[in-house]
Amino acid sequence: MSTDTATTADRATVSLAPVLDLQAAEPLRAELMALRGRPLDLDASQVTRMGGLCLQVLMSARKIWSEDGVCLTVDQPSLAFSEQLAAFGGPELQSEPEGELS
Amino acid sequence: MDPFESIKQTFFQECDELLTDAEQGLLAMESGEADDETINAVFRAVHSVKGGAGAFGLEDLIRFAHVFETVMDEIRSGKMELTDEVAKTLLRAFDVLADHVAAARDGGKVEEGRSQGAYGELRGLIGGEEEDDDAMGGGDEDFGFVPLTLSIEGEDAPGGFIDLDAQNAEAGVELPAPDQAPQDELASWTVEFSPKSEMYAKANEAGLVLRELARLGETRVTLIDETLPPLDQLSAEQAYVSWRIQLFTDSDEASIREVFEFVEDDCNLIITRDGAEPSVAAPTDDGLSDDDRAAADSANADLDIAALLARVGGGDAPAEAAPEIVAEAPPEAPAEDVAALIARAQSVAPPPAAKAPTPAPTPPPVAAAAPAAAAAPAAAAANAAPAAAASVTIRVDLDRVDRLINAVGELVIQQAMLSQRVLESGLARSSNVALGLEDLELLTREIQDSVMAIRAQPVKSVFQRMPRLAREVADMTGKRVKLVMEGEGTEVDKTVIERLADPITHMLRNAIDHGLEDPEGRAEAGKPAEGVVRLRALHRGGRIVIELQDDGRGINRPRVRGIAVARGLITEDQVLSDEEIDNLIFLPGFSTAEVISDISGRGVGMDVVRRSIQGLGGRISISSEPGKGSKFTMSLPLTLAVLDGMVVTAAEQTLVAPLSAIVESLTPRTEDVHYIGGKDAVIRIRDTFVPLIDVGVALGFRETAIDPASGVAVLVESEGGGKAALLVEAIQGQRQVVIKSLEANYQQIDGVAAATILGDGRVALILDVDALVTTQRRKPAARPSEKRMAS
Repeated sequence: MSTDTATTADRATVSLAPVLDLQAAEPLRAELMALRGRPLDLDASQVTRMGGLCLQVLMSARKIWSEDGVCLTVDQPSLAFSEQLAAFGGPELQSEPEGELS
Repeated sequence: MDPFESIKQTFFQECDELLTDAEQGLLAMESGEADDETINAVFRAVHSVKGGAGAFGLEDLIRFAHVFETVMDEIRSGKMELTDEVAKTLLRAFDVLADHVAAARDGGKVEEGRSQGAYGELRGLIGGEEEDDDAMGGGDEDFGFVPLTLSIEGEDAPGGFIDLDAQNAEAGVELPAPDQAPQDELASWTVEFSPKSEMYAKANEAGLVLRELARLGETRVTLIDETLPPLDQLSAEQAYVSWRIQLFTDSDEASIREVFEFVEDDCNLIITRDGAEPSVAAPTDDGLSDDDRAAADSANADLDIAALLARVGGGDAPAEAAPEIVAEAPPEAPAEDVAALIARAQSVAPPPAAKAPTPAPTPPPVAAAAPAAAAAPAAAAANAAPAAAASVTIRVDLDRVDRLINAVGELVIQQAMLSQRVLESGLARSSNVALGLEDLELLTREIQDSVMAIRAQPVKSVFQRMPRLAREVADMTGKRVKLVMEGEGTEVDKTVIERLADPITHMLRNAIDHGLEDPEGRAEAGKPAEGVVRLRALHRGGRIVIELQDDGRGINRPRVRGIAVARGLITEDQVLSDEEIDNLIFLPGFSTAEVISDISGRGVGMDVVRRSIQGLGGRISISSEPGKGSKFTMSLPLTLAVLDGMVVTAAEQTLVAPLSAIVESLTPRTEDVHYIGGKDAVIRIRDTFVPLIDVGVALGFRETAIDPASGVAVLVESEGGGKAALLVEAIQGQRQVVIKSLEANYQQIDGVAAATILGDGRVALILDVDALVTTQRRKPAARPSEKRMAS
């Protein structure tokens, strides 16, 4: 698994793998699914490459977190991550239901 | 690993595949079997190599790939005729291109004269002047990962923190900067890009395509995620999202389309020029041929439906519903769609036979558009599934596969140990535990087979390098040769394949350089001027056999013998069979070439071949007929990881004989065993006599042989077809064992191929049957002392 998880209280942090390519998509999906229902911080500081499939996973996660009314944030995005996200059209990846933000 | 290095490595891995594809295509072009798609495929491969090289700033490679690509472009557009000379030039240049890739990967440099020569040849084909660097389109010009200027708050803050809220405030991100309004003279294009799952499966990335597109001008990118399901319903490797890009550029449609060159078969793509008049469907400088334009013009009316369907499938409907939409929907421009469709159809379909425009290309676009039309948002996921199942491949790091194979190997050992312990515990064979273990064994075997299949690859990757080699060697030696290859689809483990190339190369060079006569010599011998070399791969008895046969002069045995004597390899009075003389050429330092040539005959050739084959657990033999030619036969294990073996006991040692070599086993009767010359034991099996080899003696475990009647004879067949009986004390049973290399862990031992770990945790040696048989012939084991008097 290319990502690791650290938990503080109920809030979880997932460090996104440096290379979010085809191979990383399913592991990422599985890891995020396992954390469903918990407020989640995605640490994007290490990301050097993000492909379309992992983008879909993150957008899809945002959907479900949003539906669940749970907070999902992207922390410390690397420049590469931000650039790639922008090139993709800059989709929203964060879910911040009212009253959830600390 | 440094992520950049990791990406670079991936690029070079891809280069290997691209070059393989390109070479195959070039060979087809040379043999006159290439269709348009083949030529396009070569172009795309070279273009991809150039693209990657640009990203990593590999200037030499970019420069060379660029001129190569230009020639390919001329050919595919019909501006240059594909003559035999052109094909040969391309093949020669391809070698240099491959060398440039290798040099870029290994940090070396291609010989300047060679590179320049090939470069000049290619330029000569185009007939153009040297382009300046900017015009070459290499480096960052076309493909570099140039940082994009983004309108992001906090962009220059320490730590690279970026406020995503600000970034995402508007869905459309303007590149390079929002304050640079599109210039009036720039045309506005709308590109609808919907990747299919196959695109990602082939390791292509939507992000790179979007970045390349952004290099053509200012873009406004809108992501359409209407069909994206929530995470619990998401299939991670399926494509859901698509993009609509508004592009302001002075580039023409062909240039825009070129961005999608490598993914066009794996995405739905619609390019429309906003507000275009139907008559400007095909701008004169758009790269389309006259045929394309003519077909487009005539087919306009017929194809409106197709265009409409394609547009629907391309994401118009969801786009209109998408809340993030930035660009206004462009006015309908059916003619542009038609041109786009035609251009695309032209790239995959054979060109129209006649100049006269016909609506012939109609079916492909309609066929292509029809499934897309059905892909309404609600049905998109369902539709994508069968498409994804068509050809889904993934690129997996070899290390991961190796780890899996090792783990399965350990599983096999553990399973064997568990079985043994259950057996030792006294449980009945019919007990539930024992039965469960049998099921486990079957399952383990199935897992092992499946894992090994992952690594199996056709030998084609090695074989396809050979035709060029044959031509080059033939050119250098002034001989004429036809290489016939069979069984390229034969599969073998990847590690074996990688190590096959050198021995086959050596053997092929030898066959042409030494084996075949020159045309005059062949004429004198009453043979056709063109010699035939056959390279063949086949599966036989759980091994892969590679044969290389020539119809040349065969081995000149008196000469070989003379040289061996002269070099002190054998004594003058030594009696050797024809087969033994033939095998002298495998001795270290033996070379029959009186003049050492560049091609072969450095005195290391066949010796090296034999050692490398043996290193793979394989064997090589030669059979030759004077005046008619020689045949080299290499036999190699299909895998270097597991082996089906017969576990036997000899001199209180547990040994494993490869099952593939075993014909039968029997209990020898005293009256069937005879001693030739009083020492060489042979055993009569039905109506033939075969040598009887006491394994314990042959491996040096004991001095004297056992009484044959007290042991078991295992009849084995060596690769050359010769048989022998191995005498052991007892047979324990058949088992699949995991091969552990002796060379890697200890050192090579004559008569022992490798080792394994048995169920009881002990190490057992795996017999090298061929070596045992060969050694026995040269150094007969002593017969049992008590029998000497009796016979």
